[in-house]
Amino acid sequence: MNMIEIKNLGFSYQKDDVALSDVSFNVQKGEWLTILGHNGSGKSTLSKLLVGLLKPNNGSVVVDGQTLSEETVYDIRKKIGIVFQNPDNQFVGVTVKDDIAFGLENLQIERDEMLKRIDEYASRVDMTDFLEKEPQALSGGQKQRVAIAGILAMQTDVIIFDESTAMLDPKGRKEILNYIKKLNDVGVTVIMITHDMREAVLSDRILVLKEGHVLKIGPTKDILLDKETLESSNLELLLPLEVMHTLEQKNINYPKLKEFLWQLSLNT
Amino acid sequence: MAIKFEHVSFQYKSIDNKGYLALNEVNVAIENKGEFITLIGETGSGKSTLVQHMNALLTPTKGAMNIFGIKISSKSKENKNVKFNPIRKQVGLVFQFPEYQLFEETVEKDIMFGPKNFGVNEREAKKRAREAIAMVGLDESYLERSPFNLSGGEKKRVSIAGILAMEPDILILDEPTSGLDPRGRDALLKVFYDIHTSLNKTVLIITHDMNTVYEYARRVLVMREGELVYDGDPVKLFSRTNVDNWNLDVPDIIRLKQALETEFKLDLSGTIRNKQALLKRLEELLS
Repeated sequence: MNMIEIKNLGFSYQKDDVALSDVSFNVQKGEWLTILGHNGSGKSTLSKLLVGLLKPNNGSVVVDGQTLSEETVYDIRKKIGIVFQNPDNQFVGVTVKDDIAFGLENLQIERDEMLKRIDEYASRVDMTDFLEKEPQALSGGQKQRVAIAGILAMQTDVIIFDESTAMLDPKGRKEILNYIKKLNDVGVTVIMITHDMREAVLSDRILVLKEGHVLKIGPTKDILLDKETLESSNLELLLPLEVMHTLEQKNINYPKLKEFLWQLSLNT
Repeated sequence: MAIKFEHVSFQYKSIDNKGYLALNEVNVAIENKGEFITLIGETGSGKSTLVQHMNALLTPTKGAMNIFGIKISSKSKENKNVKFNPIRKQVGLVFQFPEYQLFEETVEKDIMFGPKNFGVNEREAKKRAREAIAMVGLDESYLERSPFNLSGGEKKRVSIAGILAMEPDILILDEPTSGLDPRGRDALLKVFYDIHTSLNKTVLIITHDMNTVYEYARRVLVMREGELVYDGDPVKLFSRTNVDNWNLDVPDIIRLKQALETEFKLDLSGTIRNKQALLKRLEELLS
C-alpha cells in the first residue's frame, strides 16, 4: 500500500531555474526510502514539497490517500514530520523541554500525555539531563538530537530525515541511525535524504536525484553497485564495493572475496 | 612555535552560575609552517572552544597562551594592553557554516571585506580577491556574482577565500566539509591540501570524518570532555584500545584492510592510507 504518491512534481525558485522537474515515485507504508543526490540536486526542495513548506508548480503529492493542498496541509503534517540538517534553523523553544513541546502543542495533545512524551523521547535521544537548558547552551549535535526528539514525540506515520546526521559525531550518528532502524521496524515510514552511502545501505530502496530529476530508483542492492549512476550524481561507491568493482575490471575474480566484500559493505 | 598553550582552561558562564568547563588544562603547541593537523572529538568535547582560543576570540579563564609572540593570560588586567588584531590576521579561523556569514552584493566585495578591515587598500584587496578565488578552485567570473545565488559548496569556498585573502599564516577550519556531497568534500580537501603544500601553511581542520583524518593528516589532536587526550600520529591513533575508549569511528581503509588480512591472510602491512594505495596492493597480490 502506498503511503506517499508523488506525480509529475515540478518546482522552480526563480523563472528559468528549475529545481525539480517531472519527479514521480511512490513510497510504501513502512518502507525506508533513501533519496541520494549531489548538493543542489533538489533533495531538500523535494522534502519541503512533501510537507507543504513549498507549493509545487506542477504535479501532486498524496499522503495516505489525502492530496496535499492548502486545505489539507495541517492534517498532513500530523502524518509526516521532518528533521532538517541544521538544528539552529529549527529551534523555537526557550528551553529544550519547550522545544520538544512545541510540536505537541500544535497537535493539541493533552498536558499529561505531553509531559509523558517529552520525558520518553528526550531519554531516547539521551537528552534527559538537558531538558531545562537553553538551546544556546547545547552543541550542534545535541541540538540535533533535541530536534529529532521533537519530531519523534509527534508520533507521525512518516518521518523525513533531511541530512539530519550530517552534523553529528560518529557516536551520535550511530545512535540516531539505530533509533531510526527501530522506528522503521515498528512500522514508521522513513524517507532519508543523504549523500552518505553508509546510511543508504540501511534502506529498502534508493532514489538517485540529479539536477532536479529522478536519475534512477530501485532496490538498495542494485543502486549500491551502480557505479555509473552514483558517480554521475557526485556520489561514491562504498569502499568494499569500489574494491570489488576495480578487481572485476582487472579480471581478478574470486567469488569468495566478492561475497566477503559485499557482506562487509552491508555492515559498515 | 607559533601557538603555545600552557595549562589552558576555559569555563563558560551559565544561567545557573555553575559554569561549564569546556577546556581543562590543555597544553599544545603548533608550528607556523608546514603542519596539516586534524582535530577530532565527540560533540561538546571542546573542539570549537579550543580553536577559538587559537586566534584569541576566547581567552583562557586559567593558564596562558602565546600566539605569535603575543602573551595572553587569564587575567583581564594583563590582557588589557594586548593587541588582538594581529593575532586575528595571522590565525585565520573559518567557522562552521561560514556560508551563512556572506553578506555583500558580490563575491569580490565579500572576499575584500576581511583584508580591508585589516587596513589593506582597495587595489591590493582586489588583487588578493583574485588570488584567493583561484586558490579555492573557482574562476574569476565568480567575483562579479551575488554570493546568494551560489550552491552550498561554492558558498563555502567563497567564505574560505575571504579568510585566505587576509593571508593568515595558520588556517583553521571548523568542520569545513560537513554537508557536502562526496565529490564536493574531496575537492575542498584537495584545496586545503594544496594550500598546505604549495604555500607551506599550517592547516588545522576540525572533522568527524575519520577517513579525512587518516588520509590527509600527519598529526591528529583528540579532545575528550575538555581535555586533549591524544596528540600524534593518526596511524597509531586507531589502535583497538583508543577506538574503544574514545568512541572513534575506524576509517574505512583500516576496517577493510583488517577484514581482508584476517579473512584471506593477505599481507597488507606498511603504509596504506588511501583507496589508490589499497587497490594497487590488492592488484599486485591477487593478479
